[in-house]
Amino acid sequence: MQHSWDFATIIENWPVLWVGLKGTVFIFLVTVIFGLGGGLVVGMGRYSRGRLLRWPATVFVEVFRNTPVLVQIIWFYYAFPILTGIEVDPFLAAVLGISLNTMAFSAEIYRAGIQSIDPGQWEAGKAIGMSYGQTLRRIILPVAIKRILPALTNRGIEVFKMSTLASVVAYVETLNQAKLIADLNFNPIEAYTAVAVIFFVVLYPVVQATYVLERMMSRSD
Amino acid sequence: MTEIVRIENLKKSFGELAVLTGIDMTVDAGETVVLLGSSGSGKSTLLRCVNFMEIPTEGQVFIHGERVGDQRNGKMHYRERDLSALRTRIGMVFQHFNLFPHMTVLQNVMEGQVTVLKRARGEAEDKARSQLDRVGLADKADEYPARLSGGQKQRVAIARALAMDPDVMLFDEVTSALDPELVGEVLKTMRQLAEDGMTMIVVTHELGFAYHVANRVLFLNEGKIFEQGEPHQVLKAPSTTRMREFLEGHSLFKLPD
Repeated sequence: MQHSWDFATIIENWPVLWVGLKGTVFIFLVTVIFGLGGGLVVGMGRYSRGRLLRWPATVFVEVFRNTPVLVQIIWFYYAFPILTGIEVDPFLAAVLGISLNTMAFSAEIYRAGIQSIDPGQWEAGKAIGMSYGQTLRRIILPVAIKRILPALTNRGIEVFKMSTLASVVAYVETLNQAKLIADLNFNPIEAYTAVAVIFFVVLYPVVQATYVLERMMSRSD
Repeated sequence: MTEIVRIENLKKSFGELAVLTGIDMTVDAGETVVLLGSSGSGKSTLLRCVNFMEIPTEGQVFIHGERVGDQRNGKMHYRERDLSALRTRIGMVFQHFNLFPHMTVLQNVMEGQVTVLKRARGEAEDKARSQLDRVGLADKADEYPARLSGGQKQRVAIARALAMDPDVMLFDEVTSALDPELVGEVLKTMRQLAEDGMTMIVVTHELGFAYHVANRVLFLNEGKIFEQGEPHQVLKAPSTTRMREFLEGHSLFKLPD
């Protein structure tokens, strides 16, 4: 079948997509901060020798790593309010689903990073009178994070793309807006192609920048 | 003599394994005490109990006559905060240096001063530079540890510990991971420290160092102090068979005098 491409309506509706892209960037920023930040906390719990911290952290990681994000978003949007009586809007449902999943994945990255550090580093910090927290912050994390930076930036890129899942509960982001355009103008091929192009155009330079960053970081070793 | 470290009936077990079975020792200000013993004799564990890198199973440690920890119901309790404060006064140097790889030599030596002792950066830097000068590495201040030789790394580690103005320095087999030709520079630095009057407890296999630098040599065997005394007496005329065997093992391949 021959399709004659026509992007006129897409360009006409650019402001609609622009609103969506802003929504995408916004939910990305919120979920990446909660996800990677919270992941550090959960990762520390996973690393902890105390069972009181380790077990809940382990359960958390396993639950959210082994359930689909899409299902989590839908569950928080439809099931959670009925079970608890707490209203959940599309944004919150999507943020919960994506953040919790990202926390679970990044927790494992942090844990692996911290475990890869020579125990002698902990000893050296301790021996000059540093507390656990001081050693972690000043000695362990700077080296560990440098080591896991490629894995973390990968996660960040995943989170950016995962934001499209928020469209399932009609949160206003790029894919959701494209669906709107497609429904009104009967041009799904162009609309969804535009979404792919937008994501590529945004992510490609970012990914290239992370390569440069990684090269710079590894040079100081 | 001012007493710096006193240890009373110290015991340490790891699970079923009793490593130290009752140690009593005192180290006075300005003394260099060398701990000898074959591997598994507990000498490193004893050293690590002095600054509570290992928590003793039983017994008490006094620093400057002050008991570390609180006694409740016949058992010692230690608060992490108190132990951290104690460790700032006890320098430790490790076999594998454990320098901070993401910091320059200068930053390594400043780190404890700034983060733990809360010294002003300028003061900490002056202190760091003078300690680096003391170990002969003033010109390496801006290098990263990865670019140093093993001997240089170990001297930076010594400077890092000295910068905290410790009351006593602990050396845990600090030359064991070095290439033979680099051992000398580290031992020379340690000898200089001893001559400057630093109080030192040294775990080592370097009998020459023990002989020339130590005021006292303690020989550990099966978790106890088996024999002790001045180096020329313990190393030249040991009174126990076990000690004689240990020395023979060490000098088996020495060149004849």
